Amino acid sequence: MSRTFILAFGIFLTIASSITGLVIIPNWQFQALKPVVKLDGTRYPEVYFGDQARGREIYIDQGCIYCHTQQVRMKGYGADIRRGWGTRRSVPRDYLMDRPHQLGTQRMGPDLASIGARQPSVDWHAIHLYNPQLTSPGSIMPRFEYFFREVRSGEAAPADAIKVPQQSNGVTHIVPTDRGRALIAYLKRLNQSFPLPEANQ
Amino acid sequence: MIAQPIPPVVIPEVEARIEVDGSSRPVIVLYWGTSLIWLTIASIAGLISSIKLHSPEFLGGMEWLTFGRIRAVHWDTAIYGFGGLAASGTLLWLQARLCQVRLPYRNLLLVGGVVFNIGLVLGTAGVLMGQSTGVETLEFPLWAMPLLVVPYVFIVIANFTMYFKKVTKHTYVSQWYLMAVTVWFPILVLSAEACTNLGAVDGVAQAIANWWYGHNVVGLFATPTGIAAAYYLIPKVIGKPIHSYHLSLLGFWSNAIFYNWAGTHHLTGGPLPAWTITLGVVGSLMMFIPVITIGINHHMTMLGSFHLLKTSPTLRFAVMGSMIYTLSSFQGSLEALRSHQEVTHFTHYTIGHVHFGMYGFFAPLMFAMMYYGMPRLMDQEWSSARLIRIHFWCTVVGMLIYVTAMCYAGIRQGLMMNDPSIPFLNIVRFTIPYLALRTLGGLILLTGTIAFLINFVRIITPHKYTWKTPTMLDTERDWKKLVELEKQSENGGTK
Amino acid sequence: MVGIEKENCFVFGVFMFIWSFALISGITMVWLLAWAIKRGEFRDLRQGARMIFDEDEPIGVVTDRFPGAPR
Repeated sequence: MSRTFILAFGIFLTIASSITGLVIIPNWQFQALKPVVKLDGTRYPEVYFGDQARGREIYIDQGCIYCHTQQVRMKGYGADIRRGWGTRRSVPRDYLMDRPHQLGTQRMGPDLASIGARQPSVDWHAIHLYNPQLTSPGSIMPRFEYFFREVRSGEAAPADAIKVPQQSNGVTHIVPTDRGRALIAYLKRLNQSFPLPEANQ
Repeated sequence: MIAQPIPPVVIPEVEARIEVDGSSRPVIVLYWGTSLIWLTIASIAGLISSIKLHSPEFLGGMEWLTFGRIRAVHWDTAIYGFGGLAASGTLLWLQARLCQVRLPYRNLLLVGGVVFNIGLVLGTAGVLMGQSTGVETLEFPLWAMPLLVVPYVFIVIANFTMYFKKVTKHTYVSQWYLMAVTVWFPILVLSAEACTNLGAVDGVAQAIANWWYGHNVVGLFATPTGIAAAYYLIPKVIGKPIHSYHLSLLGFWSNAIFYNWAGTHHLTGGPLPAWTITLGVVGSLMMFIPVITIGINHHMTMLGSFHLLKTSPTLRFAVMGSMIYTLSSFQGSLEALRSHQEVTHFTHYTIGHVHFGMYGFFAPLMFAMMYYGMPRLMDQEWSSARLIRIHFWCTVVGMLIYVTAMCYAGIRQGLMMNDPSIPFLNIVRFTIPYLALRTLGGLILLTGTIAFLINFVRIITPHKYTWKTPTMLDTERDWKKLVELEKQSENGGTK
Repeated sequence: MVGIEKENCFVFGVFMFIWSFALISGITMVWLLAWAIKRGEFRDLRQGARMIFDEDEPIGVVTDRFPGAPR
């Protein structure tokens, strides 16, 4: 009987030590991190609000994380920076507002840590999400056409319609739905170009 | 009155075995049977996601089947549906046999099994409807988790009850691992849910908690159960005690101490303090100690008995599992090195490694457990040797195609990604033939699973597809009859 | 700059914690091992390895084969 408790207690200790060492201590270390105030008075990183927050939820529910990372490795370790995925390595402060985290571990698609800086155009994002083949031929990304209302030739295109470069099935324009707009707002916000001091250490 | 026949002597161990197997039948059959249904679902979900990667238009336009959702469903149904149920069935049956006690709380465990399955269905539906939490391996919506955790508490209680009531004087190696699993898994799930979906920590610390869990659910849940099965099946089938009991002790404790720490290698190069990753790398490399000791024990026990692979289905799967345990663990330890991760991190190599471990080591050992256990639980033989052979060869060939294609493509992909002069889309185009090869591998694995499922359905249908006497169990003496006779004579004596 | 020094202090603290933790757990492990040997936990280990066999399925008897195969 007593032996069972010793066995169970030893087993318990092994897991308790690792969660203390790997999760609780680093979390304690990050407690001191605060957003920085930029010269123009805004903060980095800023909380997600409105369309960005809703867009983040869509990013999560569509499972973008299974193909896209949001982390740039340091210079000299991989070619993340040389590929132009970021201007500096990612640091813990970049993720202060991320709940849940979306770091990701797969790069079937490119890194998205600074996609907002690399592709600032709403139109590009809309066309890319509507049909990735139009902007990136040979891409294996699924189409997210359900985030857009299709406008066919002959129909009147509303003012906020986005022109599709190659017509197919008579679709000339697309109009992002609320969800589409939110997702694009979130993607456009992804930007780690603010030079945090600790990223250059 | 005719004189009573002299009651024959019944070996207590045999009596206990018959009692144990009889008492645990409904529970274990429910757990194993549903685990195979989930394996089929997981394989189909995996196949759909695999096809979607080389033909993105496949099943396109349906939001609930978009890659990001079906991919989450694939892993969650594989690890909780197949892994959770198969491992729990194995745990309960093995512990009952090794303690030589009847399975306790059978009704509670039956209800638990049903609730666990309902939880899996609801969780899967939640992910498909877009309610994924976005935390890898913990995608099931929070409201579905109690349905998975509460039944597991029953299993933990049953496991400890059996251990406390055990009749045997000694504790077998497998039992340490099984005890460990029941201590680890609830703590793992609860603390990981607290740290991620309940928001106890956020940002990068949450990522560490996520991968601490993601790695440990394989390392502290699937792996120990697999090792426990191998430690029982290999010696039992070939009739030879384990090579070195001392080594198994060392293997157990070093496994318990080092595996915990390995998770952070999933974030190598990521935005976390370097010391956390170093800890992960050290933990991964230290895994050489348990892997080598466990490997020596399994393979040295097998030495000289390889001819039995031809005649025993259980042994085929068990030896395949234990050999790939050694290989995939070596691969995993080396993979954790920073220089290795610089290339293969973020690539298909990781996916190849996961399947090598899960489908090359864990799944075959669970299959072996079922091949050994089901005839004893159901008191009848498997209906078809051919279906068993199909299952085995499909598992081997499908898994090898899958893993080779993914690992090779992953290394090339990683090398190309580290060369910024190669456009990203060229790398994508390079991987497509290998992704198609993976679909082929997956298809072969699914064929094997379906063959097994047919055989399983037949063995739980009483004496319809097969001869009455179990050939595997026909010992010289018909023990069942003897036990019954003894009981009768005992009853007669007390009257 | 003050922040960075603070962080260094913190890292130092973490390392101190890890080292002391390693030292204490190491000593505990050795002590536990000595205690277990003294208590006789390692005696009679081979008996444990044999507990899965019995008179009906003794050492040396193969207990599994393909269905329909001759014994």
